[in-house]
Amino acid sequence: MSSFARMKFYCDEKRCIDCDGCSVACDEAHELPVGISRRKVILLNEGIEGKEFSTSVACMHCTDAPCEQVCPVNCFYIREDGIVLHDKNICIGCGYCLYACPFGAPQFPTDGAFGTRGVMDKCTMCAGGPEPTNSDAERKLYGQNRIAEGKVPACAAMCSTKALIVGDAQSVSKIYRERVASVGHGVQSAPYGWSKAYGK
Amino acid sequence: MKKVILLCLSMISAFAQSYAGKVPLVSQNQGVYDGTSRLNSPELLHNIMLYQNWGGLFVNLQIHWFRTLFFGITVGVLVVFFLHYIVIGPKKFAHDGKAIYVYNLFKRIIHWMAALAFVIVIPTGFMMIFGKELGGGTLVLDARYLHSIGTVLFIVSVIPMFLMWLIPMLATFDDVKWLFMAGGYLTKKKVVVPAGQFNAGQKMWFWLATLGGFVMIITGAAMYFEDFDLAILKSLNLDQIDILRISAIVHNFLGMAVTALFVTHLYMSLFAIKGSLDSMISGNKSEDEVKYMHSSFYKKLKKEDKI
Amino acid sequence: MANTWGYGAMTNSLNDIQNAKAIIIFGANPAVNHPVGFRHLLVAKERNNAQIIVVDPRFTRTAAHADLYAQIRPGTDIAFMYGMLNIIFKNGWENKEFINDRVYGMDDIRKEAAKWTPERVSDVTGVSTQKLIQITNAYARQTPGTLLWAMGLTQHTIGSSNTRIAPILQLALGNMGVEGGGCNILRGHDNVQGATDMCCLSHTLPGYYGLSDGSWKYFAKSWGVDYNWLKGRFKAKEWMNKKGFTLARWYAGVLAGKAGEDKIHNAGTNLKALVVLGNGITSIDQQAKVKEALDNLELIVIADPFVNEAVVLTDKKDDVFLLPAASQFETSGCVTATNRSAQWRSQVIEPLYESKTDQDLMFELAKRLGFYKEFTKGMLMKENKKSFKWPEDATDEFARIIKTIGFTGWTSKRLKNHQKNWDKFDHVSLMGYGPMKGEYYGLPWPCWTETHSGSPVLYDINRSVKEGGMGFRNRFGLMHDGVDLLAGKGSAPKDSANPDGYPEITAKNIEKVLGITLSASEKKRIGKNWKVDTSNIIAQKCMERGMAPYGNAKARANVWTFPDRIPMHREPLHSPRQDLVKEYPTYKDKPNHYRVDTRYASEQDKEDWSKKFPINLITGRLVNMNGAGVETRSSKYLAKLSPEMFCDINPGLAANHDIKNGDMMWIHSPSDTKIKVKARFTYSVAEDRVFLPMHFAGYFQGEDRSAHYPKGHKPYAVGESANTVTNYGYDIVTQLPETKGGLCRIEKA
Repeated sequence: MSSFARMKFYCDEKRCIDCDGCSVACDEAHELPVGISRRKVILLNEGIEGKEFSTSVACMHCTDAPCEQVCPVNCFYIREDGIVLHDKNICIGCGYCLYACPFGAPQFPTDGAFGTRGVMDKCTMCAGGPEPTNSDAERKLYGQNRIAEGKVPACAAMCSTKALIVGDAQSVSKIYRERVASVGHGVQSAPYGWSKAYGK
Repeated sequence: MKKVILLCLSMISAFAQSYAGKVPLVSQNQGVYDGTSRLNSPELLHNIMLYQNWGGLFVNLQIHWFRTLFFGITVGVLVVFFLHYIVIGPKKFAHDGKAIYVYNLFKRIIHWMAALAFVIVIPTGFMMIFGKELGGGTLVLDARYLHSIGTVLFIVSVIPMFLMWLIPMLATFDDVKWLFMAGGYLTKKKVVVPAGQFNAGQKMWFWLATLGGFVMIITGAAMYFEDFDLAILKSLNLDQIDILRISAIVHNFLGMAVTALFVTHLYMSLFAIKGSLDSMISGNKSEDEVKYMHSSFYKKLKKEDKI
Repeated sequence: MANTWGYGAMTNSLNDIQNAKAIIIFGANPAVNHPVGFRHLLVAKERNNAQIIVVDPRFTRTAAHADLYAQIRPGTDIAFMYGMLNIIFKNGWENKEFINDRVYGMDDIRKEAAKWTPERVSDVTGVSTQKLIQITNAYARQTPGTLLWAMGLTQHTIGSSNTRIAPILQLALGNMGVEGGGCNILRGHDNVQGATDMCCLSHTLPGYYGLSDGSWKYFAKSWGVDYNWLKGRFKAKEWMNKKGFTLARWYAGVLAGKAGEDKIHNAGTNLKALVVLGNGITSIDQQAKVKEALDNLELIVIADPFVNEAVVLTDKKDDVFLLPAASQFETSGCVTATNRSAQWRSQVIEPLYESKTDQDLMFELAKRLGFYKEFTKGMLMKENKKSFKWPEDATDEFARIIKTIGFTGWTSKRLKNHQKNWDKFDHVSLMGYGPMKGEYYGLPWPCWTETHSGSPVLYDINRSVKEGGMGFRNRFGLMHDGVDLLAGKGSAPKDSANPDGYPEITAKNIEKVLGITLSASEKKRIGKNWKVDTSNIIAQKCMERGMAPYGNAKARANVWTFPDRIPMHREPLHSPRQDLVKEYPTYKDKPNHYRVDTRYASEQDKEDWSKKFPINLITGRLVNMNGAGVETRSSKYLAKLSPEMFCDINPGLAANHDIKNGDMMWIHSPSDTKIKVKARFTYSVAEDRVFLPMHFAGYFQGEDRSAHYPKGHKPYAVGESANTVTNYGYDIVTQLPETKGGLCRIEKA
């Protein structure tokens, strides 16, 4: 059993305001083709009082990732920290992972032969792919590898209301628990004290 | 027809549901549990709810059944015919007698076009199903592209084929009798088999290849184009993603049937009836073969004094 | 705002909203327009159980996060707030002590509010009486409560009254000058507050100094130029003291004299040239007129990093110049945030290719026009230098000159220090710690002296003046109608030498008011009053005595210099409720309104507009776009989120016009203009109104003009500009266009 906790995304839909900051940050960070949306913000029940809300969805890096299980060519691999990645050099673009995914995460560019569907692209949790870390090849195929640089994925880093949280499952739970526990306990202003700017 | 398809699908579904539970689904991955979260009310996340119908079914079938069934059916059919060849052996007919001209040039060209399409589509299909063993990558990806190109050839050939053989392929009472005696293939004796121009086995193959072929084309096209927006789907309360899932399921099961009958067809024409391949080359069948294997057709020709 | 209590700026800060117990939002959509700032509202809701109340004609993304939402008819905010005041006064929920000590004229408001019974408010605004009572109850009984607004409140013919009734509501509840309270106006984009402070306006000098001779002379002296030379730059002296054209109506200056156009008062000449520095031309209304004006100009000069829509809109082929301006990343300097905080920015890269920074463009222009020396002299004066260093010397220049809003402490050295130590400030109170102890982040103005902490919360008497406390500004005299305008007894800021109200400090009254004696040298150096005291003696002495240089007076609910002394509800020029137009008619036509004769009553009474144009038209922004959208529409990832212009329409309304989701539809305006847009079904608008985003350009009245973009410069997203169909109508005081309350007619295309 590994000592790593599993990395997870969590979107607090009470905070998500449908600003698309996460999805644009993702597109921009990985310089994705316009047809690819690794991350999407979905808005439900638009305009209906009390029911409208939005949430941000990308690959959820499932524990028992169905995409990995249905893949006919075994192009998926799951890192020790739970990030679900795939090898674009093995993928054949069949689309089965999309059929298996409950979140619509797998994306297919139209860059195959004669403008047909190419190999699959999806959220990597900014952890690149099987190529050497931070190599040009990795960057070209999978975009940035921010995890290797010790950075938070671009989407969560850019989230304007900090609705989207990412990290190992325990840390994400902790942040959320603190949020819930702090309800009604007043704002958190540091007790730094104050000494006079003038005189004394 | 729609009812039949839906019935079939629901049967498949029921079958797979009985198997459900062995594949861990993804509900535990949605994040931190929060009792007040609106996301936990399932009717709101439409797509995840629908996932439980077709998504779960597809995942179950793909993980546990498709590969096994394809393997089993292919090997099973081959073994059965191998045994048949050893135990019962092929039928031999005299080819020195009169030749009856049954397939004109047009029909033969169409047949061979379709044959070529099958020769492309079926092996490339198998390459995708058993992509793991091939290591994926360019080889299998190219097989996928070839699968689509083969489909184009198939579309071109299947339409005239359907029209040209539609009438003689309609079922008759002979077919029932033919089925009861298994086409006379289970005996070494040369028996008279009740059949018109085409016997029940050929008819089965025809209908599967044409009607089943249309379904294969439609489901394949759905998966190929992936992104489509048809109002009719909405009226059936189906989402695109579910159409894709259903397409993949149907495509796989029909693929099994097509594979089985394709292998049968090959065995019959190449091995089981010696010299029958000749009819698709020259267009002629020997009188002896027609007399036994297509007895009703033979009688009809006699009556019309064409022989 | 400025006419209510002294300064027209956000009183608290976005961060301070975390302290609020109730948040009411009129005509603003921070979840879309201020997504990062919206976090503070969500935190207030999470940690304080603050109720978020949204009053808006449209169910916005902000409303989706609100506890209470009222769908108001556009342009009826005054009626709604009087309705709230009616309930507040009836139940005695107002803060009587606060009103008594710190507010003038509340009795007039009380009288007017008495007329606005919930039933009448319900009839005018379209909000049910229950909802009104519920909202008032939720807001008035939780203190502190903060009130937010933006363009939804200001862009009306009665916008200036709207921006007075909102402060009055806050004054009545005593929500002013407290943490978690205040009137928090959300600025539309980067550095709007700074641009206003620095006078991108036509009716003041920088720092809100008026256009009087005294102000001109003060600036002439401070800039080191001869007053007579300045005077000589004008056609005649009288034009120095007159307001100029506004952005909303510059086109009238070009088109005047043509049939049907408004008359102008511009020294007998029309406008002939237009220079645009970074303004999206489609962001103002009456686009058809703007196009005509552009076509009729002799010269158009546009400085923009992107290709401005003006060149796409106009048919003019010659004498149109595009200057490649550098972006904010290619220059440095200070910008002012919505909460009056300054932030220093550093240059990231040198200007690309042949692009030039805005200041370089202006320096070059000044050189060609022959006044470069005078133009830059102010930057040399502080230390008597030979050459200046941009932007440090420019910052030091305005810190030296502008006293009215307390820029004295904003030296470039201090602002850069804040940038360097920006991690050493508390996120809620903005208070610094460690090396930054004793200062608030960005030194929110007024920052009276070079050691002052900045003022995070305006008009807060619970902290001392040195720590950013102050009363209301003494700006409107000492007495009116026999009532003392100075603050009541004991209502001075903490640690004040004078515990009561006191007037603004001048050289004449300083000794008496502050209770000090000046030395002979001080008497010699001191300026005439606190606004022009470059010696800074007044501010220094005030700090020592814990008193604000601008005095300690009452806020006024009655502005006797305005067309409406107290805010009055008036129907928009194009109102769907003709029955109410008779009861609440608009103003009389206003001659020479920023040099243009502006129609009010004559436009409203011209016909029963609601017959031909039965549908309310509201405009607003999208989260992925900014302003006229030229830079955001040029980003493929942003454009992908809204690739084409659309119209939000309720499916019920659409069904009546046989329009399906995704169909093209025409929108006709009372000005005989029309646009062709795609219908987008949503329930966020009611069945009597449609919503248009304002960011698109490239099409004009159904015609695709995107071929006019220079090759390779067409944005990814083009579409009709909503401002082609926004209605005629301008605020009676500020001349802001009435884009948030108009009428239209729709039909299937």
